[in-house]
Order: sequence, then C-alpha cells, then structure tokens
Amino acid sequence: MSPPSDHDVCVIGGGVTGAGIARDLSLRGLSVLLLEKGDWGAGTTGGSSWMIHGGPRYLEFDWETTRLSTQDAGYIVSIARNLVYRVVFIIPVLPHDRNNIERMETAMEVYDRFQPLKKAHPHTRLTAEEALLAEPGLTRELIGAVTMEEWGVDPHRLVYANVEDAVAHGARAMNHTRVIDLIRDGGKVIGVRYRTADGAVSEARARVVVNASGPWSPEVSGMAGVPVKLRPAKGIHIVYPHRISNFSISAESIDGRDLLMVSHAGFTLLGTTDDDFYGDLDSVDILQDEVDYLLQAFERVFPSIRSYRPVRTTAAVRPTLYKWRRYEDELSRRYEVIDHAAQGVEGFVTIAGGKLSMYRLMAEQTSDAVCHKLGHQAKCTTATTALPGNESDMEPAAELARRCGIPALAAVKLQSRHGSRAEKVLDGARAGRLVCRCEPLTEAELAYAARREQVRTLADAFRRVGLAAGPCAGSACVMRAAEVIGRELGWSASQRFDAVREFVRGAWLGRAPVLARAGWAQEELAQGAMRGLIT
Amino acid sequence: MGRTDSLAKLAWAYGVHLTRRRLSRPRSQLRKLLDTYASDGIRALTPAERERHSHLIGCINCGLCALAAARMGKARLPDVASSYLRLYARVGEASSDVEGDEPDFEAAAAACPVGVPLEEVAAIVRRIAAG
Repeated sequence: MSPPSDHDVCVIGGGVTGAGIARDLSLRGLSVLLLEKGDWGAGTTGGSSWMIHGGPRYLEFDWETTRLSTQDAGYIVSIARNLVYRVVFIIPVLPHDRNNIERMETAMEVYDRFQPLKKAHPHTRLTAEEALLAEPGLTRELIGAVTMEEWGVDPHRLVYANVEDAVAHGARAMNHTRVIDLIRDGGKVIGVRYRTADGAVSEARARVVVNASGPWSPEVSGMAGVPVKLRPAKGIHIVYPHRISNFSISAESIDGRDLLMVSHAGFTLLGTTDDDFYGDLDSVDILQDEVDYLLQAFERVFPSIRSYRPVRTTAAVRPTLYKWRRYEDELSRRYEVIDHAAQGVEGFVTIAGGKLSMYRLMAEQTSDAVCHKLGHQAKCTTATTALPGNESDMEPAAELARRCGIPALAAVKLQSRHGSRAEKVLDGARAGRLVCRCEPLTEAELAYAARREQVRTLADAFRRVGLAAGPCAGSACVMRAAEVIGRELGWSASQRFDAVREFVRGAWLGRAPVLARAGWAQEELAQGAMRGLIT
Repeated sequence: MGRTDSLAKLAWAYGVHLTRRRLSRPRSQLRKLLDTYASDGIRALTPAERERHSHLIGCINCGLCALAAARMGKARLPDVASSYLRLYARVGEASSDVEGDEPDFEAAAAACPVGVPLEEVAAIVRRIAAG
C-alpha cells in the first residue's frame, strides 16, 4: 500500500452535492479529495427529473423555502448557462381535479413573484380551446390550463462541471473508487481507506471527512459508528428518446400525486413515483406496476401517450430525511448538515436529504460547517463563479460546425455539454466522424471524454456525452464506441468486447420494463447487432 | 406556524384573484405564450402533426434508409431526420445541415423496418429549420 495522501477535506460521494462541496471548498483554498464508488452522478442525481425548479409546492408550507429555492435556481442558471434550458409546463385542469382553475391560477400568481429570481417568465392562463391549440394532444375534457416555467438541466454534466472546476482549483477527484473504511483515532475520524477500480487499496488522511453519499449515508456513517437515519424513497421515470411535446405537461395520478411529463433537450421524462424503499441500493429493480401507474395518469390528460415508444426507464433512491408516518410530498426534500461531534465523533460531517435544485446551497452550508471546524476564513463564491464552459459567450453553432467540419446539430449538442470550450474538445483528426448518429456525437468528443473526463466504461460515456441515449439505445454505436474509448485507454480486444457486454446487460435492465409493441422492433435490431453479447 | 402563515397568505391571494377576475375582462394569453417562448424553439404542433407524431418519431436509427437512398449532396437526410426531430426546439440552429439535394426518399422509406414516413419527416424538419 502506498503512503497515505494528506488533505484538508475528504468528500465521500460524487453526486451533485458531493461534487458541489468539493468545488466550493477548493474555491475557498482548501485541499480536497473527492471519492465516488461508481461514476460521477450515477446515483440519485442521474435518476432525478433533470430539473432546476423553484418549488411552487412549497407555497402551501413555507414561502421562505420557495424564495430560497428560486434564488438558488437563479444562481445555477447564471453559472451553468450551457447546461440549462427553459421547460414550460402546461398544467391542465380537468373536471374532477383536486384544484379548480382559479386555485391553480392563484398559486401561479403567487409563484410569479418569485420567478424573476430565476430569470423565468410569469404564467399564462389558457382556455380549453387555447390549451388545445398550444398542445393538440391534450384531452378534450380539459376545462382550462395555466402555464409555469422551470429550467431543465443535464445533471450528469452539471456534476462533472463541478468536479472539473474542483480539480482546476487543486482538488483530487477519483471515480470508481469505493471507500471501504474510515480511519479513526479514538473518537476522531482522521481519514479514509479506499479501493480503486484496479483493486488497489490506499489511504488518505483528512482533517475533516464529509459524508455526501446520499442514500448510502447510513452505510458510510456506520463506518464511524454513528447513525444517520433516512427514509429512502424510490422514484422511477420512463424515458422517451424524443420530445413528445414541446410543452411539458403535468398530470394527477390515481392517488392524487402530481406527476410530470418533462420535455428536455432531446428526450422526454415521464415521472415520478415516490415509494418507501427497503432493498439493495446498488440494485434497484423497476416493476411493471410502476410503469403502468405513470402511464395511467398521463393517459388521462394526454390520451395518445401509449402510442409512443419508450426507450428505457431510470430508477433512483432519494435520501429523504427520516420521519414516521406520511411525508408531505412538498417538504420531503429538506436537508440537514450533521456535525457528528455532538455524537462524540470529531472530524466527520454528513449532509443528508435535499434535492438537485438546491445542491449549490446545500454545498455552501456544508462547506461553511467544514470551514468553521477548520477555523478557515473564506467566503463561498460558487453563486457567482461561472462553471467551466461559461466563462464567455458561445459562438453560433453553425459557425463552429463549419470551421470544424462537423454537422451543425452535433455542434449544438457539443456546445450544450462544453459551452464556450467546445472547440477545444474537437482538437484532432477525427473531429468530423460521428460515432453516435442519434445524439449526434463525434469520435473526437468521445475520445476527449475518455482522455480528459474520466470515462472508464461505456456507461460513463452515456452519462458524460450521451452515448447510446437516443432511439437506437446503442445498437448502432456501442461497438464502435468501445473501439474509440479502448484506443484511448489501451483496452485489448477482449476488454472492448467485455465493455460492450457489460453495457448491453446494464441497459437491458432499464429497457425490459417498457418493451411493448414497437419496442420489440428496436429490440430485435439490438439483438441482431449485438448477437452473442446478450446472454 | 409557517404552514398557517402560508395558507393565510394563499387565502388572501385567492380572494384578490377572484375579485380581479370579477372586475376585469379576461383576454387571450395564447399569443403571448407562443411569442414568449418562440426564441427557445417551444412551438405548438399543428393538429395534423400531432395526429401523426408518434409515427414521425418512430425511427430506431438502424441506418438502412441512408444505404437505400444513396444520400446525395451535403444534406444529412434522411438518416438523421430522426435526430433533428429529437431536438426540434433547436433545429433552427442547425438549418445548414438540411440544405442540399433531395435523396431518394421513396427507396429510403421502402427500406425502413418500422415504416417511418421519411419524406414527410424531412419536410417537417426543413420547415422547422427554416423558422
């Protein structure tokens, strides 16, 4: 075992909160080690609804939470311009809904007061006829609608942008590295023992260890002998590989919950469920009943939903704070910074609960607590310091495309991931060749991701650059992608084959629950293209 | 306390809203909605497009259409038509990709294993790209 490295802070967990904490502390001048057992954002963050929203539901409970949430959403929108896009909801009101149109519009009128904090427009109210002109796919039974604006975001790139900036400011960040124990000296946590992807075990010393491992927090805190009590909640989404509508749509489920069909940049997310979860956090199954529950709700407001072909499902577990009895949906995303010194364990802090929209604020408050413990006087600057790729304005995509010899649509997507740094990614002779037509994704960007963005598996590439995220679900591109990544990482032929097989098996788990009718056509194509890989 | 306060404020806002609705004549806000988000590419589909939409985006990206159509010129149709429909909010930024010669759409459509009406898709993509 190599001698332990020394750091001011070790952050366990590479979701958006852990990455945000690593960035915050690095910007404050502390030396940081960030460890993630899988890939960046592969857990709860990636399984979210991909939204930076202000929380209009909180208006029934606490307007200050709405203000804080919208204000922080505004900061994220400013520092990550290339990663965000407007998402406009049509909220249809049907005859037997809980809230009538006047109540819905009142809520939106109140929410409008907060919308400027996140650079969003006020609501509009539509008659039934107008709503059907805006979205002809809505049910003819609606009696009116209101609209509401939120922001969509690519959470995988948001996490990686935070990691990248942390590293640029001196942090060390390692994915596929599992913490196997905390090193203790009496009642104090003084470091971590971890295993890297190649199986090597190392140690790192830190003055403070931060547990930002989301639903895995109880497991990590157990290594320090202190309890962190959560009430994990499972949420699934159905993913369609296109925009079904330009407008996002809300629907009420059979048990009265608000569900969303969210139109993202090139796909649609339909979700989400919210059920207590007691199983294995590393193996979250999706049930046909959960898929049917979501489709049932949307069929009521968008009758043709079943004629669209989903391409996969996602599942994640939320690290909800513990509470006995029913959780009010609206407040279940609260968070808490826990200094375990109160329980007799010094040098160990946990951030529990929370949601993607408030990750920056959670990171700031956790970092404040860490700095207080270390006696380090430095202010948080993450609300105003641009994330990588946002330092300057982007040039028109068509110009970038012409200069670099790539399709303009590939340039649009490239800029959405890398912002003003897009051209840097295209350095190299293979710039113009597309490896994934659906996305579309160039070989140059994929090679860059393997070389510079810690992509170690094809699933990492799915998260980092959208490989196999489109309609073909990888059948046309993963073999070639394995060649490109393998060339960068020095994979042998059998390693490339193994990488494809691992990806195909993993993807099947998310695809199986939504295969029906047209889905089988795509599946037959995949089976044919990957004969011998799916066993 | 927070909840009581919030509900009281919402009740007040509800009263103000109802009073305002009684005193003022509602005006259509549809045009305002569409104008506000036009620059974000958020547009309404026509009823005819909506009717056929699930067929228009049924492509599984097998690539057979490109082989059958012997794609010509610089236009990246028909095989990437599906990609453009995925991103139709931003297709305007990539309009240069769909300029150029017409490929053999009839041959392309005949080769499609899931029956995507490729000529129709291409026409919609070009219309959206033109703004």
